[in-house]
Amino acid sequence: MTALLGEAAADVGDGDRHVGAPVARPPRTRRSRRIRYTLTVLAFLLPSAIPIVLFVLGPMVAAAWISLTEWNLLSPAKWVGFENYANLLTDPETAEIFLHTVYYIVGYLPLVYLGGLAIALGLNTALRGRTLLRGVYFLPVVTSWIVVALVWRWLLNPVNGVVNTVLAFFGIEGPGWWADPAWAMPSIILASAWKDLGFVMVILLAGLQSIDPELLDAARVDGAGWWRRLFSVTLPLLSPATFFVIVISLINGFQVFDQVYAMTGGGPGGASQVVVQQIYDLTFRYGKAGEASALSWLLFIVILAVTVVQIRGQRKWVNYG
Amino acid sequence: MADTTTAVDGVASGSRARRPARTPAARAALGRSIALHVVIVVGALLMFFPFYWTLVTSLSPGSGLTSTPSLLPADPGLEAYVQLFSQLPFARVVGNSLLLAVITTLVQLVTSATAAYAFSRLPFPGRTLVFGIYLATMMIPLQVLVVPLFAELKAFGLVDTYLGALLPTFAAAFGIFLLRQAMNQVPVELDEAASIDGAGHFRIFWTVVLPNIRPAIATLAVFAFMGSWNSFLWPLVVLRSPELQTLPVALAGLQGQYTTQWDIVMAGSVISILPMLAIYLFAQKYVIQGVANTGLK
Amino acid sequence: MRTTALATAGIVAVAALALSGCSADSADESGPVTITYTNFISNDGNEENLQTIVDAFEKENPDITVEVTTLPYADYGTALQTDLAAGTVSDMFDIEYANYAQYQANGVLAELPVANPDAYRQSLLEAYQTDGTQYALPSSFSTVVLYYNSDLFDAAGLDYPTADWTWSDEQAAAEKLTDAAAGVWGDHQPVSFYEFYKVLAQNGGEFLDDSGTKVAFNSPEGIEAAQWLVGKSGTVMPTIEQGQGTPDFDTNLFKDGKLAMLHTGIWVFGAVADVPFGWDIAVEPGNTEQASAVFSNAVGVSSGSKHPEAAAKFAEFLTSSDTMVQTRLDSGWELPPISDEAALATYLEQGDPANRQAVFDSLDGIALPPVVAEGQQEMQDIMTEELVEAQAGRKTVEEALASAEERINAVIGG
Repeated sequence: MTALLGEAAADVGDGDRHVGAPVARPPRTRRSRRIRYTLTVLAFLLPSAIPIVLFVLGPMVAAAWISLTEWNLLSPAKWVGFENYANLLTDPETAEIFLHTVYYIVGYLPLVYLGGLAIALGLNTALRGRTLLRGVYFLPVVTSWIVVALVWRWLLNPVNGVVNTVLAFFGIEGPGWWADPAWAMPSIILASAWKDLGFVMVILLAGLQSIDPELLDAARVDGAGWWRRLFSVTLPLLSPATFFVIVISLINGFQVFDQVYAMTGGGPGGASQVVVQQIYDLTFRYGKAGEASALSWLLFIVILAVTVVQIRGQRKWVNYG
Repeated sequence: MADTTTAVDGVASGSRARRPARTPAARAALGRSIALHVVIVVGALLMFFPFYWTLVTSLSPGSGLTSTPSLLPADPGLEAYVQLFSQLPFARVVGNSLLLAVITTLVQLVTSATAAYAFSRLPFPGRTLVFGIYLATMMIPLQVLVVPLFAELKAFGLVDTYLGALLPTFAAAFGIFLLRQAMNQVPVELDEAASIDGAGHFRIFWTVVLPNIRPAIATLAVFAFMGSWNSFLWPLVVLRSPELQTLPVALAGLQGQYTTQWDIVMAGSVISILPMLAIYLFAQKYVIQGVANTGLK
Repeated sequence: MRTTALATAGIVAVAALALSGCSADSADESGPVTITYTNFISNDGNEENLQTIVDAFEKENPDITVEVTTLPYADYGTALQTDLAAGTVSDMFDIEYANYAQYQANGVLAELPVANPDAYRQSLLEAYQTDGTQYALPSSFSTVVLYYNSDLFDAAGLDYPTADWTWSDEQAAAEKLTDAAAGVWGDHQPVSFYEFYKVLAQNGGEFLDDSGTKVAFNSPEGIEAAQWLVGKSGTVMPTIEQGQGTPDFDTNLFKDGKLAMLHTGIWVFGAVADVPFGWDIAVEPGNTEQASAVFSNAVGVSSGSKHPEAAAKFAEFLTSSDTMVQTRLDSGWELPPISDEAALATYLEQGDPANRQAVFDSLDGIALPPVVAEGQQEMQDIMTEELVEAQAGRKTVEEALASAEERINAVIGG
């Protein structure tokens, strides 16, 4: 894993910026300058490194150890080596829950990004009541999944839901949504994208607000139309924020859980069962903490691989100005 | 100001378009402006509806969840809120949640900003690897970390203390990554100018870089606060004394073993949403002023 | 340096886990002691009632102080599992009957000697015994009964349900009462594990075989029972698409006067108390046998407790004292598990439903959920999932039971 990371790491810092050697400083010996610089780096890094090492990486190492045991949280753990991994890798259900998770991401990411971008662009104009509207678009982000799931189950009710009623008006027979194994995941995707639009909007708005209006004015003077300005000025300048949104959405998307739990509980018939729900069930309901930890590490490897690809690809399109 | 007419300029030119002599371009701009308003407002209604429904249910005493939500409370009353306040030690749980959220937010702002500065401005051997490891901490679900983390804090004697609830939230890769992206966009020439004036890294960090990433800092503040305010699993596990309970855990208690009083659950939901909304709106104001004040761009 | 710190943190976490098993020191029962009690039974409105019982106990036992922690029911399991894993569990904690076997088999529960076993309803007390030894004490029970809307029965000219009804009586009435045009449904019974083991017992079937590690429900009785359960959907009961299975759907339908019969627990008495029509309850109809579901909570003493005697004393007070009986009856909290029906007389006179006697009559033939030492929750989840597949028409009942049999055997087969 370290090798994998190291390889990726070579590319992580594509956007690195730093000041060259200090210029107007009293001359010092090279050695004392180096010590001073090391101390500076430590001073900036340790406040975050200490909690991360102690309270995230430490438990991660412990989880790796647990993944090599059979443990129901009640009796002492029993060492089983790589048996949990072997079981998971040969169980067809593992492939299934990973596929469901990927299905979720593939549907969710374009929807939430394009929707969030459109809203951010729309609300970055001189619209009356703009602040209030931003608040309204942010509401779903802060509403709990219990409530959101109830509302969406009602909107997408196959018999008398709003969506199917509207579709019927146009002569289309609506699908069974969450009650139909083929439509359960699309239902979750719709509700999730709707809920997270405000999240993407907030990140992209912060990016848009940092864009120099003079650049856009200059483009307009040059005769660039709206679309042209969007593609040649706004989007390139927004690319660091976009990169952030995509990396974070992928990391979070692979760990989708709350919405599945609240909307379908993984059903019908396991059709929307995802990886983290399985991890939760295995740990706290089925008494299989070892298997849950092993599954988490498999998930970790997948997310890491996807993120590494992201980071390696960023130099092609992310523009740090 | 940076906030006004950056991307969609049709609205700004809309006022010009109301003059009698309409050029085709102005007419198009007006049409675009109207379309934009309609789309945004319809979208806002879609966004607002679930919250509205929560509000209506919370104001309909004794109502269960009806299979078809009604648009107006059947028999409006504040009973659910009264019951909520009498069932929960409300001041205490809200106070606990606020305390944890404020401390988490402040500490995370510090740890994220300093780490982001190191990753953006201070080259050192293995820096990209360290950044990769930071990012990797987001890739393991909390569900499997809870048990080892709990055992570790027990060994430190921190179970059932505010500190035990707080420590694991003190640094988060999300915020570090967010601020690093913002810092990477601050022109390095600004650092160099300050450096020529004799500024060291601490001064550049404080007076050059931080003021230029205010929108990102405000955004992080909102998300850090929200993360703490809504966090459930860890506070549930680590805080047990009734005096230390947080709002989400207390609200979860409104769902019983066999039955749930939905009007009270919805009232609790309204009450937990409002502070978050207030913080977001406040942060928005700050962002806009912040950008206006720096004079950069 | 960083690697060292990481390794240290990992070692601390691992060591803490490894050490967590051994927490019990020597018992010290002399002098004042404080015992801790983690519960969910008082959550959601009965916190003060529990405190009343604790106060009375502390008054009688000035040497013992009880510290109570109350957790939400839905997440109680998560918190308890974490505590058990890390060795921070309270002296006493609540359990449900369905989880009892699993906790007992893993040695989490201490033996719990009872001073006065006759005070308890025997069937409930015995439910928490393993090989003749008591490991937990029942703290309350609720039963599931048949609710009916007597106005709808009157309008259809039908006789009200009685304890003598069987499935065919229920079926006939449900069909006559269903009026699709008016949106009125005849019957509602959830399609889940908790209903299935009961209808299975009502039909003379067994869920598990004698070994306890293999299922026995894929039998003619089992198929007939599952058919009875899922066959209601779409005929006399709304389908999943129509909302069946969403929270509170059934009670709301009943409260709206659009449901004639409803199978649910006595815990919704309060919720339907003010409906503008007549209603009552009856013992649930069986087929070849009468069998009612009983849900019971219990309290156990941790095998790691330093004060097992004091804890046992409070456990018995909490589950059988007069103070407890009085407090529960006065507040309408769940029913106490005691044997003395005279003490429960006031319960019968508390108003609607009129036939409260049915609550006690249903105890004459009870069906307890099947319990296994390993894989309880997974077994329940699989059973419900397969039944719902049959309900939705994606599988036949035979296919669903065969699939459930195979999957559950793989989980509980030791």
